[in-house]
Amino acid sequence: MKSTLKAKILLGLAFVLFLFFFSNDFGLIDVEKTSIITAVAIDKEDQTFTVTAQIAVPEATDTNSENLKAQLSGKGSTVGAALKDLGDVSGWFPKLAFCNLIILGDSLTDTNVIEALDYFAKTLRVQDSALVALAENSAKELLSITTPLDNISAFALQKVMLKNQGFDRDVASTDIKTFCSGYYSRNGSAFMPLIKTVNSGDNSSDESSSDSSTKGGSSGSSSSADAKNKDSLFDARTTALFKDGYKVGELDPELTLTFNALTQNFSDTTLPVNDVLEQDGKTNNYLLTVISSTPKLILNVNDGLTLDISLKLYCKISDHASQSSKDALSQNTPLSTAVKKKAQDLMTERINALIEVEKQTECDFLKIKEKLYRYHNKQYSKYKDNFLSVLKTKVNVIVEGQK
Amino acid sequence: MKFQLKTRQVCLFFIAFLPVIKLFTLPSVFAQTAREDMWISATISLLLDFITLSFLIVACKKAQTNFFGLLENNFGKIASKIILMLYFVFFSLKAIVPLGEQKDYVELTLYTLMPSKLYFLPFFALAFYLCTKHLRVLGRLSDVLWVLSVIGLLILLSLSLPNAEFDAILPIGATGVKRILSASFKAFNWFGDAVYLMFFIGEFDFRKKDGLKISISYLISSLLVVIFMAVFYSVFTSIAFRQRFALTEISKYTAVINNIGRFDYFGIVCLLFSNAFALSIPLYFSCRILNHVFNINKKWISALITTAIQLIIMTVFTQYYLSIEKLMTGALSIFFFIMANVLPLATPFLTFRRKQNEINA
Repeated sequence: MKSTLKAKILLGLAFVLFLFFFSNDFGLIDVEKTSIITAVAIDKEDQTFTVTAQIAVPEATDTNSENLKAQLSGKGSTVGAALKDLGDVSGWFPKLAFCNLIILGDSLTDTNVIEALDYFAKTLRVQDSALVALAENSAKELLSITTPLDNISAFALQKVMLKNQGFDRDVASTDIKTFCSGYYSRNGSAFMPLIKTVNSGDNSSDESSSDSSTKGGSSGSSSSADAKNKDSLFDARTTALFKDGYKVGELDPELTLTFNALTQNFSDTTLPVNDVLEQDGKTNNYLLTVISSTPKLILNVNDGLTLDISLKLYCKISDHASQSSKDALSQNTPLSTAVKKKAQDLMTERINALIEVEKQTECDFLKIKEKLYRYHNKQYSKYKDNFLSVLKTKVNVIVEGQK
Repeated sequence: MKFQLKTRQVCLFFIAFLPVIKLFTLPSVFAQTAREDMWISATISLLLDFITLSFLIVACKKAQTNFFGLLENNFGKIASKIILMLYFVFFSLKAIVPLGEQKDYVELTLYTLMPSKLYFLPFFALAFYLCTKHLRVLGRLSDVLWVLSVIGLLILLSLSLPNAEFDAILPIGATGVKRILSASFKAFNWFGDAVYLMFFIGEFDFRKKDGLKISISYLISSLLVVIFMAVFYSVFTSIAFRQRFALTEISKYTAVINNIGRFDYFGIVCLLFSNAFALSIPLYFSCRILNHVFNINKKWISALITTAIQLIIMTVFTQYYLSIEKLMTGALSIFFFIMANVLPLATPFLTFRRKQNEINA
């Protein structure tokens, strides 16, 4: 009897103790006072950071088909202080565990952007796998934009930046960890997509659309969003380049595509090849789809510092504008010599342009200095300060199709 | 002679508990000093332990009694008790940093707000319970937990591989011998696992080829550690030194995690569970030593003393944790090295001397 009572007491005690360990009930935050932040926009004015958080508001109804959102802003001398301020003024605990997007305003490019980003890389409150992007103007205004397809701009932006299989690899997306490891690497170089707003009707840049969003106050909601914003879409195909945390240049959409061809899986990307002079003397426009790509960047030091770039693309024709055609597009027909040559020349020209941008901006986005350290360590001290000025390049692009 | 363990359990002991304790802050400690050569530092530490293990396997083969018996046969009661008390201090110190790591890890990653000060009490309850048990409990735990440790590690490694930039660990050895050895020196607190085999001497039936089996299991667990270190640096490269909790960080950059959510926590929880028991092992052996030295029959007394020491350190000295960690990875590393890697080398000779005595008798 005595031992049964003892066992019961011990079991009860063990249960209570394990409750402390596993449940976190004692540290639970009231769910109604927790804001689920989907994206954070950071701007800087003088020495004050303004952090704007976009918050998804869950609705207990099925009558509203659109996602509701709210935006709150906080200010502080550091990003952490601004986030704290955001919680203080709203009474909502800013929970960043679901924050997958950090947008930096252009005002931050005047200073070292790592001042704003490093907080997210060091804290365990936010996932450093969150995407990072630079806004063309104010980050807060960019976050206020409502697209025709998604009420919450953070979701629309993520769709544009993190494209699934089957889309073009035309965005050089990056996350906090990758950006910071680039910044802290030997070359101090990093990049992130530059977000531009475009009209949904045409693809021209829409400067005014971003001005009409919620401003000035510390909060806004979807109901007050300007209808004009509904015409805006996001374009992330331009890449901002950073050296030692400062913005030093940009890659236009064509060069961003070429950069991605050299650094990541490029399958399913389409490649427009225009003005191909055919055998009959007429010119045709083609759209090629890359089925597989094999990029190689090999640094040699034997005959001076030489970067051998080879890119092998296996493509098929997805479309071509011609007056008559014998083949269906579903057939993987052989590429004509003229198409192959034009595509090879096009990619060679773009790769050379890419190298020029690297030399001009001194942003080593192709990680040449890292290659020098890793593969030619004995020559590292010789070339580490002047590798870009003495670098020679050999570019070899091979475009192949069905044989 | 009644044996408390089976050879299988000794083999699985190394696979279950050797890798998990090295996956929290140790990778960042290595990266701070040895950078891309951190895997070499880990290999050196593991090789040192393997040498110790080889000597102890020889001792296992020859010994007719357990470690306590060997000491008494060779040095007498008083001297053997002094040596054992040194090992009591060694195990008590060895437990502090890994315990602090797990405490910090749970507090910072599993809790949003600062938790109650009592949240880590269940661990001490568990350690207390284990300390009151026979050596058999470690064998049974090894039988079960090796699966969780291996599954947890495989989940994390497989999710990390797509983001690993393996050429980041090149060029091999460029950091310099001094930095590589310095990193190994700082890490003695986390290594020295071969010493546990010293306390298994005479506790299992050592048969032909058992030495090979134990060596292979030790090498498998070492390989897992080295692979983890290499993958860790390949994922984080220049910011590896800042990733204090490698366990949470390493696997989350995969596209599938972005799309589905943090299902890598299945692997993390498996490793956390194994680690809760791995942390108790030094406490278990210090408790055994106390029982032997002071002839304590009521095991709860020694269990209470052992766990209370750690509880006091964890609660009263929280503010001094960084200084304690600095001490453990600095000056006390020599003590850890001597106790875990140097003194055990003498164990085979202890068995030889006993045999001579028997022959003379």
